[in-house]
Amino acid sequence: MKKNRNVGIVGVGQSVYSSHREEVNQPEMIHEAVVEALEMAGITMAEVDCVVHGNMELFEMVHQPDLWHTLGTGAWGKESLRVTTGGTTGATLAAAADHLVASGLHDVVLAIGFEKLQEGHTTGGITNMADPLWGRQLQTGALTGMTAAQMIEEFGAERAKAAAMAYRILMDANAMKNPKAHRRLGLRPDQAEELAANSPALVGELRMIHMCSQSDGACAMIFASEEKARQLCAQPAWIEDHVTAHREEMFCLFGNAPVLTTHRHCARKLFARNGIRDPRREIDLFEMYDPSAWWGLDWLREFLLLEGDEHLRMVESGAIAMDGDFPVNPSGGVIASNPIGATAMVRVAEAALQIMGRAGGHQLPRPVRRALASGFGGTMWTVLFLLASDTERQAAA
Amino acid sequence: MGGPMRQRLITLRQTIAVGQRFATGPVMGRFLMALREKTILAIRCPSCGRLQSPPREICAPCRVRNTEWVEVGPGGEMRMLEYVYYASPDPLSGETRETPYGAVGILLDGCRDEEVFWHLLNPADLDRVRMGIVIGDRVTRGSRLRPVWADARTGSISDIRYFELDEPPAPA
Ligand SMILES: [Zn+2]
Repeated sequence: MKKNRNVGIVGVGQSVYSSHREEVNQPEMIHEAVVEALEMAGITMAEVDCVVHGNMELFEMVHQPDLWHTLGTGAWGKESLRVTTGGTTGATLAAAADHLVASGLHDVVLAIGFEKLQEGHTTGGITNMADPLWGRQLQTGALTGMTAAQMIEEFGAERAKAAAMAYRILMDANAMKNPKAHRRLGLRPDQAEELAANSPALVGELRMIHMCSQSDGACAMIFASEEKARQLCAQPAWIEDHVTAHREEMFCLFGNAPVLTTHRHCARKLFARNGIRDPRREIDLFEMYDPSAWWGLDWLREFLLLEGDEHLRMVESGAIAMDGDFPVNPSGGVIASNPIGATAMVRVAEAALQIMGRAGGHQLPRPVRRALASGFGGTMWTVLFLLASDTERQAAA
Repeated sequence: MGGPMRQRLITLRQTIAVGQRFATGPVMGRFLMALREKTILAIRCPSCGRLQSPPREICAPCRVRNTEWVEVGPGGEMRMLEYVYYASPDPLSGETRETPYGAVGILLDGCRDEEVFWHLLNPADLDRVRMGIVIGDRVTRGSRLRPVWADARTGSISDIRYFELDEPPAPA
């Protein structure tokens, strides 16, 4: 990506993610994340030039929520932008903030993603994303059993189901280290069979235990120009690049010919223009938008451009665990916490925290020089970010 | 100040119901009108030749207007099945759907590759159908399905009640 100037992430704030945030209203919840991000960056709202705000308003059915939320965002009298691109909203917020700073228009931008899913209806909202002339009647929310069906066909039921549950249990082990995660269940590997047998089926072999939560929560991030970022932060997380790809609005993925996914499409493009030949070795961490254990498992293959069963082996061998050679979602990922309008931003934010060394209890044991973060939504539509530390950028220079 | 915090926490319950009326445009309009005559139409891209049904005005990858109409199906092969246990609301009525139900993708006769038609399956056939799947170069065959038409057809998705199995029963 050609950038006018470099952009660093210098502050991250997150509310606690939970299904029970009735003790705060929407602006109050957002305020928690904003205050934390400002504190980490060591600035006040006086130094913020522009506020970028986003969520999926069809969940809470509050239109133009940025009006009400000015109380919590601090946007009064500031330049503001609103972004709403479905499941990818949070990553698109980060992309918009990056554009605003890289262009030279603003030096410091605050981006905020939030959702209060308990205040609306998640599946009802997602259903209304579909085309109202045909697809609305057929859309099954964000739930799909097709990935499970395909993996079972390809790898056999026993191995595919065991790998999906192993992925789920690994993600829960990570969430247990993240005090802000919504679902921290304390799952143990020896519970895998019991979980598989007792968890209610949602669609096909997608069971409740595989699926992401419905969370309330907000995430805020502060983006600064290189000059500002160096003043504010000892180790900013630099935005190296990002790619967004869309498909058509109808789901046409299951005919009798293979389909190039937007994940693989984005990964190829991102790796090619950043000279990455072996992503597993050249990237230290991946914060993936993994709406279910089945998708997380399958998408490892797409994002890392793997073939055959290599993605299954990465899960079976523990390579994606925090102490593995390619850690995925030390935060616990989307399965643990899913405040949808914030979710994709949390991926970028968590990748940034790992680079900054500020991830707390789920900080990886070794330095993170280069990290991937993905967003997902709509009809298989992807945003993919590449972040880097100073060490990485010096090595590349 | 008031009493304990708990006494000041209130949630307000609200329900929004919005009557909606969507213009179909002439392309979708022609397709919906044909359903009344028990005919499923597709539209072909003049550039790549791909069919779309329901028809779209544009072939998005080619960025050209679709022009040629063809009749497809009405029978076809099941390529996708969402076997849904989750009781989601029916967006046309607001009623909770009966479960389990099946959402299916069907490669109607005359279609190929990703030209899949999306509809519902007769719930009675949920455990009798087989889904065709693509794994790399390997393509497995799915069950044959045929549409069951509604008696009163108005030019909407409900003109097809659902698709049902169109194969002789397996030998006992
Ligand atoms: Zn075309």
